[in-house]
Amino acid sequence: MIRLVRRGRGVALAASLAVVFLAAPAALAADVTDIGYVDQAALSALPSFQTANRQLAEFGQALQKQYVNRAKNASQSQQAQLAQEFQGKMAEKQRQLFGPVFGRAQVAIASIASSKNLSVIVDKRIVVFGGTNITQNVKDLLSGVGDPVPPVSTPPPSSVGYVDQSAIDAVPKIKAVQDDVVKYKNDQEKAAQDKLKSAKTDAERDAIFKDYKKALDDKSNQEIKPMVDLTRTTIADIAKKKNLALVIDRSNIIYGGQDITADVTAALK
Amino acid sequence: MRWFALAALCALAACAKSPTGAPASSSSRNGAVGYVHMGELIKHHPLYAQLAQYDDSIAALNLSATVPQVATSNPAVVQQEAALQKELQTAAERTKKLLDAKSKTYQAREAQAISQALRASGSAPAAGTIAQQINATAQEQSASVISAAQRDLLGYRKALDAQDTAELQAAQRAISDRVTRTYRAKQDELQAKESALSLDLAQKDASERLSLRTRLASLAMDDTDRAAAKARLAALDRSEADAIGAMKNRDSMTLATLNAQLRDQIKSEMQAKANVVRGRSIVKLNEREADIRKQFAGGPVTATNVENGKTPDRVNASLPPAVRAQIVALHQDYQRQFNADAKSTIDDFNATRNDLKRRYDQLRGLDVSAQAGAAAEIAMLGKKREDLYGQIVAQIGREVRVIAKQKGVGVVVTDPVAGATGVDLTPDAMKDIESLHE
Repeated sequence: MIRLVRRGRGVALAASLAVVFLAAPAALAADVTDIGYVDQAALSALPSFQTANRQLAEFGQALQKQYVNRAKNASQSQQAQLAQEFQGKMAEKQRQLFGPVFGRAQVAIASIASSKNLSVIVDKRIVVFGGTNITQNVKDLLSGVGDPVPPVSTPPPSSVGYVDQSAIDAVPKIKAVQDDVVKYKNDQEKAAQDKLKSAKTDAERDAIFKDYKKALDDKSNQEIKPMVDLTRTTIADIAKKKNLALVIDRSNIIYGGQDITADVTAALK
Repeated sequence: MRWFALAALCALAACAKSPTGAPASSSSRNGAVGYVHMGELIKHHPLYAQLAQYDDSIAALNLSATVPQVATSNPAVVQQEAALQKELQTAAERTKKLLDAKSKTYQAREAQAISQALRASGSAPAAGTIAQQINATAQEQSASVISAAQRDLLGYRKALDAQDTAELQAAQRAISDRVTRTYRAKQDELQAKESALSLDLAQKDASERLSLRTRLASLAMDDTDRAAAKARLAALDRSEADAIGAMKNRDSMTLATLNAQLRDQIKSEMQAKANVVRGRSIVKLNEREADIRKQFAGGPVTATNVENGKTPDRVNASLPPAVRAQIVALHQDYQRQFNADAKSTIDDFNATRNDLKRRYDQLRGLDVSAQAGAAAEIAMLGKKREDLYGQIVAQIGREVRVIAKQKGVGVVVTDPVAGATGVDLTPDAMKDIESLHE
């Protein structure tokens, strides 16, 4: 009897848990309560960013004039060299103007994230719902007198991971596939353009374009898709081992998060 | 154990309750993290076909941007064309003067050489002999230059014909492409409106449909009510279909009218273009012919007539054969030297002319202007695409927010590189998006 009662209680418990799990799948997933986001477009409208932008634009215009003057009588190879030199100058000026502004913004974001106990701050563009919007706090801090004070503590461990896609793209077997597809695309493009030159009707042009698109799609399905699937599976496996809720691209991370790029590239090699 | 079961049930209650009605930012403090694959959802949206069409049009324009097309004429281009034509004229005049000068120099040298040859042979250098010889040289030089000019004119005519044909073909392509784009743009616009209407109607009736379907799913409903609910659903379907059908009919008529207008437009534009191109070429050819006639009216090279207008005799037959042979050899030698020298002058002129022709072609924008047109078209399509993309993403976002609240998900992000323990809301969102097609 006692056994039966116990069994009955056990069944009731199992049923209760089943109800919990079936009705609320979210309860099974990682509970993330510390995700914040920033609207970078709103930050770029701050006076300090606007000033840096204006100065860079003025510098760019002056540089353009200098380039035109010097490139006027230069050979093609000299022009390429000049272009590289001027691009370098532009990049240097950009670093010089934006470096301090970005640095200050980073400190402000870190400071707000720390005060709100947020483990990760992402770009607003990828947030569909929820999250803590800290844009106004950051704006207020950046608009205040003096420099924001950096947080003493490092961000708490986050359930959001990130990867640097460019580092993954540089893994030899992925790079080889990408290079092959780029070459194939260029060849197909040239062939299609040659055909377009002699096409006489719209129907012919449409057919050429459709063939070109199909060739690229087929190639992509044949070579890129398996590689993308492999990369995704690898990232997901590593993320699960590290108990991460999800993994996003590094370009969308502004502060915090767990970098798993090294684990992913090592697993893909 | 009871406590554990109770705690679990409480947790369930908390999960089901807390996110609803809470503001977005505070809800993130409760619940899990979720994600959606926005790219996949967009592909199932009713307006995706429209978006894909924009993408295809942009890709097709990008692909064909390097294909030569015709340029539009503007006053600045016409002015520069005239400047290039003037440069070509100047080069032709300079060449003619140079050839005249060279001809005179070679005649003088030949005359001097013949005199020396006659003196050396003991014969008096008869003025008639020398003049006769020089005139023969002048005539040969003249014939050679005239023949070159005629070849040049023929070449010019062929080049003009080829240019005209290329320009007309390019014009036809450009006009045809533009007209096709106009037609497609209208088609896109009308399709977008049809899709939007379909979507609006579906959204407008969505709650009523849901209520009717819920009632129909109830077993307790009597036959009369069931029939009434079914009839109402059918009426809603008919009403939507009628509204969309009427719009489609209106759009078909609009497109048919536009098609006829565009065909007429192509015809008249091509006729006008052909008239302009052919007319311009005829004027150019006539100018070139007139120039040549003017240049060579008295012979391209000045003949030296030393016998007071009397036509000199052929080489004096009384001269010893050796002297006659020497004179002929001298003449041939100088003629060869002149021809070589004249050829290099004419080659220089041809090089200048070819360079000017290249610049002329560039100026007419056989490559450049059309590309700028395509770039503007791509930018315009890109803007439309962005707007549509924004609308689609905003609507999907609204659907996802509702699902997230229902499922107790606190934060939802789009397009993760990989999902792990987070909640994938894509399948649920997909069902909602697909129901918009109904």
